[in-house]
Amino acid sequence: MAGIEELSPAAGPVETRPPEGEIDEDEELDETILERLWGLTEMFPDTLRSAAEVTASGSVTVAKKLYSFSRAALWVGTTSFMILVLPVVFETERLQLEQQQLQQQRQILLGPNAGMSGGMPGLMPPAPVKM
Amino acid sequence: MGNVLAASSPAPPSAPGSGVVQGGPGLVSVPPGFSMPSVPPPSVPGQPAGETGSPLPNPGTYEECHRKCKEVVPIQLEGVRLVVNKGLSNHFQVSHTVTLSTLAESGYRFGATYVGTQQTGPAESFPVMMGDMDNTGSLNAQVIHQLTSAVRSKIAIQTQQHKFVNWQCDLEYRGDDFTSAVTLGNPDVLLGSGIIVAHYLQSISPALALGGELVYHRRPGEEGAVTSLMGRYTGNNYVATLTLGGAGAHATYYHRANDQLQLGVEFEGSMRTQETAVSFGYQLDLPKANLLFKGSVDSNWVVGAVLEKKLLPLPLSLALGAFLNQKKNTFQCGVNVTVG
Repeated sequence: MAGIEELSPAAGPVETRPPEGEIDEDEELDETILERLWGLTEMFPDTLRSAAEVTASGSVTVAKKLYSFSRAALWVGTTSFMILVLPVVFETERLQLEQQQLQQQRQILLGPNAGMSGGMPGLMPPAPVKM
Repeated sequence: MGNVLAASSPAPPSAPGSGVVQGGPGLVSVPPGFSMPSVPPPSVPGQPAGETGSPLPNPGTYEECHRKCKEVVPIQLEGVRLVVNKGLSNHFQVSHTVTLSTLAESGYRFGATYVGTQQTGPAESFPVMMGDMDNTGSLNAQVIHQLTSAVRSKIAIQTQQHKFVNWQCDLEYRGDDFTSAVTLGNPDVLLGSGIIVAHYLQSISPALALGGELVYHRRPGEEGAVTSLMGRYTGNNYVATLTLGGAGAHATYYHRANDQLQLGVEFEGSMRTQETAVSFGYQLDLPKANLLFKGSVDSNWVVGAVLEKKLLPLPLSLALGAFLNQKKNTFQCGVNVTVG
């Protein structure tokens, strides 16, 4: 009977686990809030999880490629338009403005009836237009 | 000045073609002012035939067939070039060209053109002698003469400083409805080398012309021949040409949309380099604005345009060119100013 410890009746129940506070701290140190949320996804079946993963990574790749393609396409389109179309547009606009100006000058000089090119000045003899 | 102005565009100096298989592009070509007038779209080519099924017209020369489409496509300009043309008399014209370039050598070129007194048509007179000398001493010279009413001959030489690079002799016979030409290029009796090119073009119908080309080249220890066939169909406002041969295929289509817009599509495939290229070109003509605009898009991702404007009332012409290679992201622009 010497190996058996005698407990005094005043000792309370034997503590076999660490107190509650220590348990909570250890568990909070192990997992962050994001990891806990991620852990929730483990409830879905594996096929669904892998399909979702493939879709997500695929859409990210597609978005990146679309972005770089639209950048290149915008550059190619703008420079090609600049080289092929813009000079002609400038020149035709200039021609139109010049013709408008000439028309205005003719209007001022010969009166409003002679504004159109080739219009007859009515009963008046055609005045010499000096340009 | 009519005769001299017809001779105003000198032949572009082409790359020396020593022993190259394609004899055509390597040798100096006939300047555009001197050949038979090219196919006018609404009418029948060559001398106008009668109303009923009369004799077929002369089809023009072999080299001219692809030219209508090539004229629509802009040439790449590089650096600054100033050309001063001065006509000294009805028969003689002189031109000074100063070229400032970033990629190649800058230089000065002096050219003289003499047009003779034997007049064969409203815009053609013979003999025509053209010479061009560089500041380094390189000479380009051509003599074109109409020997008889149907036979025309041409002799051309090209030197690089003092060394002769190209020398060729050309004989062309124009029949009623066919044209045949023989060109002897770089003949060297001592070495036994040379190139012989024979062309034949026949009018099958007023719209269709078929022809062939035979190139025979010979060097000490090596000789070879390349043949090719060509067909050209002229419609109401279009010309379609196809060349098929040992050296590859070349097809061009030229279309005149209205009197301001002309289009050209060209397809080229080469057996030697195993490459194909398609290019689309257009030419916009606005005489009211004194503007000539040529643009082209290529399958090699090359976009280019040349804008030519006549600065009246001075006899001045300004050409601005820009070529952009989208794939390699390289750009080249140039300015040409022509006085007179």
